[in-house]
Amino acid sequence: MIKVNHLKKSFGKNEVLKDINEEFSQGEVVVVIGPSGSGKSTFLRCLNLLEEPSDGEIVFEGTTLTGLNEKDLNQLRQKMGMVFQQFNLFPHKTAKQNLTIAPVKSKGVDKHQADQTAVKLLRQVGLGDKEDAYPASLSGGQQQRVAIARALAMDPDVMLFDEPTSALDPEMVGEVLKVMKDLAQSGMTMVVVTHEMGFAREVADRVLFMDDGYIVESGTPDMIFSNPQNERTQDFLSKVL
Amino acid sequence: MKGVKGFIALLILFSILFIPAEPVSAEDGSALQRVQDQGVLVVGTSADFPPFEFYAVVDGERQVVGMDMMIAQKIADDLGVELQIQDIGFDSLLPALEARNVDVVIAGMTPTAERRRNVDFSDIYFRTFQNIMIRAEDEDIYDSIESLRGLTVGVQSGSLQEELAEQIPDAEIMSLTDLNDLLLALKTNRIEAIVMQGPNAEAHAGHDEDLHTFVGGFEMDDDDQGSAIAFRKGEDSLVDAVNESLAEIKEQNLIEEYLAKAGEYMAQTELDEDGEEIEAGFIASYWEYFLDGTLITLLISASAVFFGLILGSLLALMRLSKVFLVKQLATAYVEFVRGTPLLIQVMFIYFASGMFFNLPALTAGIIAVSLNSGAYIAEIIRSGINSVNKGQDEAARSLGMSKNDSMRYIVFPQALKNIWPALGNEFITIIKESSIVSVIGVGELIFQTRVVRSISFQGILPLFITMLIYFALTFSLTKLLNFYEGRMNHD
Repeated sequence: MIKVNHLKKSFGKNEVLKDINEEFSQGEVVVVIGPSGSGKSTFLRCLNLLEEPSDGEIVFEGTTLTGLNEKDLNQLRQKMGMVFQQFNLFPHKTAKQNLTIAPVKSKGVDKHQADQTAVKLLRQVGLGDKEDAYPASLSGGQQQRVAIARALAMDPDVMLFDEPTSALDPEMVGEVLKVMKDLAQSGMTMVVVTHEMGFAREVADRVLFMDDGYIVESGTPDMIFSNPQNERTQDFLSKVL
Repeated sequence: MKGVKGFIALLILFSILFIPAEPVSAEDGSALQRVQDQGVLVVGTSADFPPFEFYAVVDGERQVVGMDMMIAQKIADDLGVELQIQDIGFDSLLPALEARNVDVVIAGMTPTAERRRNVDFSDIYFRTFQNIMIRAEDEDIYDSIESLRGLTVGVQSGSLQEELAEQIPDAEIMSLTDLNDLLLALKTNRIEAIVMQGPNAEAHAGHDEDLHTFVGGFEMDDDDQGSAIAFRKGEDSLVDAVNESLAEIKEQNLIEEYLAKAGEYMAQTELDEDGEEIEAGFIASYWEYFLDGTLITLLISASAVFFGLILGSLLALMRLSKVFLVKQLATAYVEFVRGTPLLIQVMFIYFASGMFFNLPALTAGIIAVSLNSGAYIAEIIRSGINSVNKGQDEAARSLGMSKNDSMRYIVFPQALKNIWPALGNEFITIIKESSIVSVIGVGELIFQTRVVRSISFQGILPLFITMLIYFALTFSLTKLLNFYEGRMNHD
């Protein structure tokens, strides 16, 4: 579904991604782990071109995104939902309006239908009673669940999660992970950057370990967590587990 | 005075830059022909100068009347054209003439040698004398030029009197644009005397028992002893035609008749002042002036806010553009407009446009204030857009929203909320600063206040009323803005 060929990304002189080759298939749940500064988030943000790659190409559902014109890129982005560490809900919109604005304004979905979908999705993430609440009145966990529902409202083919629980108070991590787990079980293709090793072990089909701008090791959770081959993977896991 | 000279210098520079090929003094009857083709004679005056020119109600309508205006009507009739009067501040009359905003200037103007360098004059139509105005209580102390030695004396800036005042030994001279301000300064003891044109001084002293005037006995050139009509240089055909009319006026001794009629108009305004109930009488007599002024001020402010917001948004987006040229263009505009006074911008747009086509003063004023506020609003909006977290745009773009949709639905509404107080401040500033357009004769609130002061012979009360009106306007606006701020607040 997504193919990454020789992806490189530099910020000024700082080369963050050095040479990434990877492929994500339909229905696959992939968790990306690795130490801070290893390039995980940048990698994820390159997938929907929020960061412009310095070199290499991203192919999504047969279309090369890199070098695509603005209009076509917007169309393809609609099929790639993204969830951010800082939620980034629109503070001037209610929960429901957060879910309907993009479908109505950019996808041309009928307002009434968008409303119905929004209510359904909010219920699905356990916030059926919060449709008219503004983000400022919601807890962090609730905001992140609205953000997930917002991405789902565009009916995406793949969901990208950029450390979705890192900004949450510990007691709220569970409710967000639960929503993500349900989503994985429904068959959604997911790429998740996270430090939640429990989630990776339990939900992931595959785990990628990144370090210093490379994907160092890739395999089933069992292979990575129980029997890591690379020295750097072993070193990292010994610190976090 | 310095400002006027500087401005004239700027205009001359402008005319050198923009109309170098036009033969300024070629005279082939074209000036007269032009006026007759237009069918209108546009006369510039400064209507705060009874009995020469002032406002009065004629047939239920407010008009500029006075001796000069009757002369103007006679000239227009003789030329077979309509008369159109433009009331402009005295300082700005000659620039307006040179910039072609008006055809001639009739404003009790003395043809001094200095003025003759820039414009041409008709024959003198009214021989006059120069007075000194003092407080009635000082009648016994000041009776000659010599008696004012070393004291502070007021004059209207850019006037003949400004030069004459130098004949008072060691006097300290205070120049103000508005005669009414001078009279107020005299009554409040800020100055000891005013050098004023004779008939004008007598008109004021006759209406105000606190004032006393006497003939000054200044030494004057022959030229300086009368009033004449000003023309652009080289328009001899028009000057000749006007001189014919003036000769007729002299022959038939019409001036006497005109002055008598002007006196009637002045008496008419006096009737409105009822000694006992002066305050109620004042409002009842002049409320229309204040209402008109307030409406024009609101019109200018609302237009400037509307166009300023459009222009400001555009400039802000240009400044945030990645295209170097677009960005630099907007930056240069903002820097230039913020770095020059609104007063000059208003005058520049009005007078400069007059060289090419006849832009009404109100339109010129609205354009100038809009262009000015656009620059300030641009900076406010830019700071507002920058204040919105980058994650908001990223979230919108990740949902597939276009750059424009993200700006319009996500970033801009939040920016608007952040900059609301600053924007409100700018709107209030616009209401107050729109008063500057009174210099080009737009009848907004400050302008009307000046008119009321000159016809009511009241110095302070009109100022106080105007202050209250401005406060009512800005305070209501503040309340309105607060209401909307509350509605935007979802925290």
